[in-house]
Amino acid sequence: MISLAYKDIRHTLSKFLVTAIGVGMLLGIVLIMLGVYRGMAEDARILLNDIRADLWVVQQGTLGPFAESSRLHQDWQDSLKAFDGVTHAAALTFQNVQLYNRQQQAIRVLAVGYDPMGDFSVIAPQRLVAGRSLRAQHYEMVVTDKTGFQLGERVPLGRDLYRVVGITHGTVSSSGDPLIYLSLKDAQTVQFSYTNAHIRNDRARGLLGQNTRLVNTVVLKVAVGKNPTEVAQALALWKPLSVYSHQEQGLILSRNVIERSSKQIGLFTAILVLVSGIIIGLIIYTMTLEKMKEISIMKLIGIPNGMVVRMIMQETLLLGALAFLFGNLFATLIAGQFPKRVELLGSDALLLFLVILLASFLASLVGVYKVMRADPAAAIGG
Amino acid sequence: MAENGIRVTHLQKTFGRGENAVEVIRDASFTVQRGELAALIAPSGAGKSTLLMMIGCVLEPSGGEIMLGEKMVYQNRWLHPDSRKLRREKIGFIFQAHYLIPFLNILENITLLPQTNGQTRAAAEQYARELLQYLGIEDKAHAMPSDLSGGQNQRVAIARALATHPEIILADEPTAALDIERAHSVVQLLRQIAKERQVAIIMVTHDQRLLPYCDKILEIQDGRVETSPVEPLLP
Repeated sequence: MISLAYKDIRHTLSKFLVTAIGVGMLLGIVLIMLGVYRGMAEDARILLNDIRADLWVVQQGTLGPFAESSRLHQDWQDSLKAFDGVTHAAALTFQNVQLYNRQQQAIRVLAVGYDPMGDFSVIAPQRLVAGRSLRAQHYEMVVTDKTGFQLGERVPLGRDLYRVVGITHGTVSSSGDPLIYLSLKDAQTVQFSYTNAHIRNDRARGLLGQNTRLVNTVVLKVAVGKNPTEVAQALALWKPLSVYSHQEQGLILSRNVIERSSKQIGLFTAILVLVSGIIIGLIIYTMTLEKMKEISIMKLIGIPNGMVVRMIMQETLLLGALAFLFGNLFATLIAGQFPKRVELLGSDALLLFLVILLASFLASLVGVYKVMRADPAAAIGG
Repeated sequence: MAENGIRVTHLQKTFGRGENAVEVIRDASFTVQRGELAALIAPSGAGKSTLLMMIGCVLEPSGGEIMLGEKMVYQNRWLHPDSRKLRREKIGFIFQAHYLIPFLNILENITLLPQTNGQTRAAAEQYARELLQYLGIEDKAHAMPSDLSGGQNQRVAIARALATHPEIILADEPTAALDIERAHSVVQLLRQIAKERQVAIIMVTHDQRLLPYCDKILEIQDGRVETSPVEPLLP
């Protein structure tokens, strides 16, 4: 039996392929948007997961270093370490700074300060792709490969030059900025030290001896067998601090820090999926309208509806499947060009494929409706 | 004795109801035997296409009888459950334009209906090639309709109409899109087909110059069909 769909597609192959590529590019953009959405959620948790702390201790009444400004005295690290149930404690700083490469191009990064000799190795070993972690208390820096700095390069920051001793991959902040790592002492200098003119001005105002031994958070590990929630409750009861568990800090990140952005992208993606479905429907409708004369002739000479309907449905589903393949190819090719992470997940692609199949099927019903309604008498009388 | 091709008795068709009712065909009765080519003539809007559609089981009449071959297909109601199957098996259609399916080649256009009727591809193609040879376009089997001239495409349309061995062919102004030379050639061919293949053919035409090729003239006048003979062509 002759396959009408195959013959029709072969006859207008270039038009069919161009249509599939066009729809595919639209689907590719949908996949990219989904990837940006996933990437944003993934990026937000990188630092949190790399540090792997049980508890995050922050300035009382604040949500912590990612959602709100938080400042603590560094010596809390020592007293918290002595608290019942706590085994490890590390003071950390986080600060957005602007670096300049050799071409004097500005690179916005998040500087993470930690004690290289301390209890926590903030840099996850699997992230380090070249060089080593920090070993000295001064003038060393570990950077993310996205910054473009090379191993051994000297990078000016604040009053000093820092030597790049290690390069990490895939480390970004919740806002997508690349991470750099400094020793806690250097980070405090960068964050809490001022220029000579600023200091002279402060002295003239009678403000003397600025305290630079501040941090943004102290992270803790609790002893095996101890319940982190109970330790957190006890800490919050006895100390003028706010304490969050790893899960709570994750929720703060997803709900307070990236919620609006992710919702915006999620809504935009949903609208794009809807628009894609409508466009596929319109294309199928137009493709069917173009064939109405032939369909009337076929019905008049006695071709069963089933054969014509099968042709419309096969063409529609093939168009949807081809567009999906082109969309994946397009998305994969351009995903790397985006400045922020685009996380293309197989599960998202599968979900989109099912949506497109459904949209194609519904669109083909429009074509089928036109076929069923086609008047064979339209072929007679010109 | 000639076999019955088409017999229409007291056929009526009224569009609309009540005050808006328009009686297009009042009382049409005529026969076309197998082997005959009949011309259906009438002014525009007189009901030629309506009559053709009723005989072709596309449009339901308001009353009367239609007999195709030895089978009564309409007697105040359709008697055949699947009119499309009936069309596929008994009737061949030829239109003003060739109306070939543009994405099928010539051989596929001709074999589509026989294959739909259950014939094997090989058998359908063999008969299609015979028809193409009969019509003088055997070298065009694998061409696309867009590659052929208007006259060649109309011959392919005739081959498609013959591919299912129909008892009846309904031709709706098959020469309208052709110049007079090709029009004569096509009508001569239809006459030849009617005689050699014992098919009853009704051909709608406005062209008086083609009437001498026909065996009879069916003229719609005021909703009725008048049958008149044609002086036979001298050999």
